[in-house]
Amino acid sequence: MNDARSITRRRFMTLTGSALAMLGGGHAFAQGQPRLRIDPTEFQPIPIAISGFVPGSPSDGDVGNGVTQVITNNLKRSGLFAPIDQAAFIERISNIDVAPQFQNWKTINAQALVTGRMTRQPDGRLKAEFRLWDVVTGQQLAGQQYFTSPEYWRRIAHIISDQIYERMTGEKGYFDSRVVFVDETGPKERRVKRLAMMDQDGANVRYLTRGSDLVLTPRFSPNSQEITYMEFGQGDPKVYLFNIETGQREIVGNFPGMTFAPRFSPDGQRVIMSLQQGGNSNLFVMDLRSRSTTRLTDTPAIDTSPSYSPDGTRICFESDRGGRSQIYVMAAGGGQAQRISFSKDDTNASYSTPVWSPKGDYIAFTRQGGGQFSIGVMKPDGSGERLLTSGFHNEGPTFSPNGRVLMFFRDPGGNGGPSLYSVDISGRNELKVPTPGFASDPAWSPLLSSTAGQ
Amino acid sequence: MKVNVDKTLVASIALHVLVLGWGLVTFSSKAYIAPEESLPVDIISTDQLAKMMAGQKTGKKEEPKPKVEKIAEAKPEEDAVGKVTEKKELIKTNSTPEPPPKPVEKPVEKKPEPPKPVAEAKPKEEPKPQEKKPDPAKEDPIAELQKKLDTKKPPPKPVEQKVAAVQPQQRPKPKERSFDPAQIQRDLDKRAATRHEQTGSALNASASLGAATGTAANNVATWRGAFQGAVKRCFTPTYNGQDADQYEADIDIPMKIDGSLASEPIVVAVRGPSRSIAQAVAESAKRAIVQCQVYSFMPKQQYESWKLIPMTFGLKDML
Repeated sequence: MNDARSITRRRFMTLTGSALAMLGGGHAFAQGQPRLRIDPTEFQPIPIAISGFVPGSPSDGDVGNGVTQVITNNLKRSGLFAPIDQAAFIERISNIDVAPQFQNWKTINAQALVTGRMTRQPDGRLKAEFRLWDVVTGQQLAGQQYFTSPEYWRRIAHIISDQIYERMTGEKGYFDSRVVFVDETGPKERRVKRLAMMDQDGANVRYLTRGSDLVLTPRFSPNSQEITYMEFGQGDPKVYLFNIETGQREIVGNFPGMTFAPRFSPDGQRVIMSLQQGGNSNLFVMDLRSRSTTRLTDTPAIDTSPSYSPDGTRICFESDRGGRSQIYVMAAGGGQAQRISFSKDDTNASYSTPVWSPKGDYIAFTRQGGGQFSIGVMKPDGSGERLLTSGFHNEGPTFSPNGRVLMFFRDPGGNGGPSLYSVDISGRNELKVPTPGFASDPAWSPLLSSTAGQ
Repeated sequence: MKVNVDKTLVASIALHVLVLGWGLVTFSSKAYIAPEESLPVDIISTDQLAKMMAGQKTGKKEEPKPKVEKIAEAKPEEDAVGKVTEKKELIKTNSTPEPPPKPVEKPVEKKPEPPKPVAEAKPKEEPKPQEKKPDPAKEDPIAELQKKLDTKKPPPKPVEQKVAAVQPQQRPKPKERSFDPAQIQRDLDKRAATRHEQTGSALNASASLGAATGTAANNVATWRGAFQGAVKRCFTPTYNGQDADQYEADIDIPMKIDGSLASEPIVVAVRGPSRSIAQAVAESAKRAIVQCQVYSFMPKQQYESWKLIPMTFGLKDML
């Protein structure tokens, strides 16, 4: 007994002493000592527990499960999160208004916990509530509630996913977004190509054209309301503008030859595209309000696939003016273009389909060389080239709204057809994107919740 | 009705209870924090190791006094090893075969602490003007005995020598041939007879000058590496943009001596082009620190050096 008492006393003295010492000299101490540095080299996904969304009434069980599933799937596919299997959960959340027992979630190594509730309101609307908890520190990181029509429950799930993503990573999410692509059906010789649109996770596929005419290179407008694409109709292939809401379409400009490879400017006021003139093609930009066109390049070469920088001041495009297709950057108003693609290991490699990241930090491209097609990224000055995937045929990268993920299409060759894939700009986490049939030419929309009118 | 109780059983139980009870009290464990030497787990070069283990001139001197075994007038110690050879010489030169080894043994018997190879363990700071000693009387008991027999003049200084001088006279040759195991040890320990106690004004059992563990107390390389590794396991930053190297979070970690956190980690500063990403990095780092505790491997005797651990979390190596 005596021993025990003296031990506790000694312990107490030690602790008190250290606490006092810390109060007194802690700061000076910290300054005198060099800081320990940790720079992780390996990427690790954040372990997160997504508890089932509690139904506010007995009839809300299905929608609760659906929302939970969509969020789990989104976070998992991002590659930045490792959702923990619900079977491992120790605690079952039944009331989201009570703080969870964090010890139960620490035990299963969760760093964060998502709880939520879906309730059908008397007025028919759906109320979605969620909370994001930091399991380690026991703090609530986010808490929101949304009201929507019951049929938009997936959209709510995507918005909640974006909230979680942004709060945990500091980057904007990309889940509440859509992808427009070319849906391909039928045998290889008589492929029917239709314009189609879906959520970024492959759900809610809608067909925008009937498939009587061949469509290529669809691109979203910055407000996600319109799509510009190229269609082989009667006569020359032309660039069209398609309004998603109304279903109306119109030809962009009145050019004497074939127009192709269109893309919106970041402000949505202009469309930049290629115009074929004899054996050459040059870049033109058309103002959608005044319908006036401006020529940007005038070379005896094929200049195509233009893409604006997010601030709208520069354009990257591909050109074979040097003999082989390469990527060039020039001012948005035209002028001197500077080549940025230089392959280090293969002088015969060619670069095409450049796309400027919405964040402005990278330009993605398709690279052809050594009998392979690769998808890669480089900085806008051409440095830091990084190939993310290579194979028989990979083409047409498009950035997610936050610039973190690329989607592209891959054709394995043979009698099969192309499919859509996504990959992190680090090259990790390559995933097939589910589509009803074959699919090519994807284009990612901006974040819907950040655009007006949606 | 009388219950027949086996007395031996009762006695046995009583004794067992007594012994076990005594044992419980006596052998109860004590929370004693053993001073443990840190074990370098990082692979380091021999140079680094040497540097780590080297003593410090400016370090705290734990035992500033020289070793003293006996309070007396300070008298420098001689090198015992050297005397063995001197002894041989003496025997050679002295033709008298008379004195057997016995007189030598006797003083050994009386000595309070016979086998102590102290000389080698002593640090160099100890004052030892060895070579200048001109005193032949102290050199060897044999020689002394001879001298005494010749001159009947006891040597002036050490007490031991008086004993050595007196005793042979008290017991003159009690030699029978009998086996004495102790004798063997004494024979082996002859050299100790030449060793004198170190005298000084104050007793001091330790020969050490300076800290016993060299600069190991300052050797933070060991726990730093281990701590870094432990926190890194839980650190899951997600950002890997091309400006990732610009993101940093400075976090101070107050620690308890048991290796757990004394309080929540303190975010001192965050840096980076995007505030939200920098904040996420800092929060991720905080989670890592809290989640990966307890850091029980931290060397307790170096607690002063990790009471508050200042850290920087960066992303410069993220792709």
